[in-house]
Amino acid sequence: MCLLTGCRSDTYINILTTMSKYHKIPLIHSLATTRRAVLGLLIAVLLMAPSAASAAGHDEGGSLDVKGIIFEHLGDGYGWEVPFSHTDRIPLPVIVRSEDHNWFCFSSAGLTEKTETVDPESGKTHHALEPVVKTIERDGKTYRFLIAHESANKDKVVEIFDLTPAEQKELDARLADEKKTGDVDLGVQVIDGYVYYDGKYYREYRPLDLSVTKNVAALFIAVILVIAMVFGLVGFYRRKGMRAPRKGMGFFEMLVGFIYNDTIKATLGDKTKKFAPYLLTVFFFILVMNIVGLIVIFPGGANLTGNIAVTLVLALCTFIITNIFGTKHYWKEIFWPDVPLFLKFPLPIMQLIEVFGIFTKPAALCVRLFANMMGGHMIVITLTLLIFILGAFGAAVVGLTTVVSVLFTIFMLLLDVLVSFIQAYVFTLLSTLFISMAQIDEEEHHAKEDKGDSAAESKDLAELAAQKELISREAAEMDLK
Amino acid sequence: MELFTPDFGLVFWMFVAFILLFLVLAKWGWPVIIKMMDQRANTIDQGVEDARKAKEQLDNARAEAQKYVKEAQARQAEMLREAAKMKTDIIEEARNEAQAAAKKEMDAARLAIEQARKEAELSFRNEVGRFSIDIAEKMMRERMSDNKAQTELVNKLLDEIEKN
Repeated sequence: MCLLTGCRSDTYINILTTMSKYHKIPLIHSLATTRRAVLGLLIAVLLMAPSAASAAGHDEGGSLDVKGIIFEHLGDGYGWEVPFSHTDRIPLPVIVRSEDHNWFCFSSAGLTEKTETVDPESGKTHHALEPVVKTIERDGKTYRFLIAHESANKDKVVEIFDLTPAEQKELDARLADEKKTGDVDLGVQVIDGYVYYDGKYYREYRPLDLSVTKNVAALFIAVILVIAMVFGLVGFYRRKGMRAPRKGMGFFEMLVGFIYNDTIKATLGDKTKKFAPYLLTVFFFILVMNIVGLIVIFPGGANLTGNIAVTLVLALCTFIITNIFGTKHYWKEIFWPDVPLFLKFPLPIMQLIEVFGIFTKPAALCVRLFANMMGGHMIVITLTLLIFILGAFGAAVVGLTTVVSVLFTIFMLLLDVLVSFIQAYVFTLLSTLFISMAQIDEEEHHAKEDKGDSAAESKDLAELAAQKELISREAAEMDLK
Repeated sequence: MELFTPDFGLVFWMFVAFILLFLVLAKWGWPVIIKMMDQRANTIDQGVEDARKAKEQLDNARAEAQKYVKEAQARQAEMLREAAKMKTDIIEEARNEAQAAAKKEMDAARLAIEQARKEAELSFRNEVGRFSIDIAEKMMRERMSDNKAQTELVNKLLDEIEKN
């Protein structure tokens, strides 16, 4: 997703500057040919761009860590990438609890360091962001934290300790073990419980980590946006009374009306008031998180709803609400459903299925949102990376790939906007359904059926009476004439 | 796979953030918005209903006004007709009265003339009678100046009485 925040953002700058340079030319042409000329220029510019791209790729040694880039964009981070920079990050607070239960809070800027290395062949400087040890002194003790790279806790903050002789012995034994089993020398061995850093192994402890990471910060931004939207509308009402809002707020109000009247009210009926706040909050929170995730630069770009932790919490909330407010009849339907006896006794087949269903429903909610959003992000970033993957095949191939992949990327992003709405809506709709299924009372269940019949009957009668009256009135009129 | 293992820190913050968001919005956000939207919908419904009623009333009022106008026009025409009739009546009456008065006057005049004529006739007759008696007296005196004529007359008168 984070197209412009990627490592190759300089390519896009090239495209933009070249475009702005050539963009004046079409003005000379007549109006009729202008559009075609612009299109042609765009393609020409795009075809020129790859040479810059392959040059940029060459700077970093030619090899491209595609998997690393994709996972960096899909995953979380302790800092927030700045557009058009490889090494700058917006620092965010790291909050961790050390092994001896002390809380630490420091800036994530202290965990990384910009390095400059000069390539002896080309003489170009190469910038990189390297992890460094953050050392904190407290009460005469020294605490050291590090973003682990060669460790089981990759890209997470760990507390590191020097090895004791006993640990050193154990580590040596395990390293020897690994060497025996491994066929190829993979370089640094990742040993559970140890982290390799700067030529040395340390014992690592993964602290309780409540850091405000990129995703957490994006979460707060989404919360603020939702609150701003809602209270913007509330403020509008306070100022303008009952007048209808226009433009953005009107759209927001329309969405509220759509979700509240057509989805929640239509499904939950007289229990709407009880559950509507939760469902509305869920819809707008997911929608805002989805849309903000699609924005490429700073306030957006975090793959929030494509993170299973976020969708898990949302699904868990629906699960809790469904089951806490579930009626007696709901539980009866689970443990003693209306099916032939042999299906529920002596072997509790139906009960097993029903109990399983309690958990699969929210799990499906969780995975659906997560997979859809992550998939969208992954396709976009992969399409973009395609340009650089094919960088080795010369300018012509890459030029074509660039055109195709940029067009596809735009298409996918637009599609993702649609998916953002659909997934937010589906999550809300299914939550509403699950909650409403747990809200049926037995009497109500039967009463509804009875009422339906009698209502239909009385409706028929009323219609008949009305018809009779109409006919008699017509007859009277005829008589009068 | 690190992608499929939820990170405890993120779960924790997500839980905190979501619960906070939910509490804040459930208390001060959604109820206000939903109430206002319902209220507005009701107001709009009410407005539509009111407008319909107002239009109905307006139509009724217009019909009523038309009715009154027509009525007034009818009454005006009636009054005009009545006035015209009254006018002709009055003129007729006046004329009749005048005629009657004139006739009376004439009758009276005629009567007076008649009376005068009768009186004149009477006095004329009296006059004529007196004249004739005078003449007859004079003639008698002349004729009865001798005795013979007197006896002749007496005889004649006696004859006449005897004959009767």
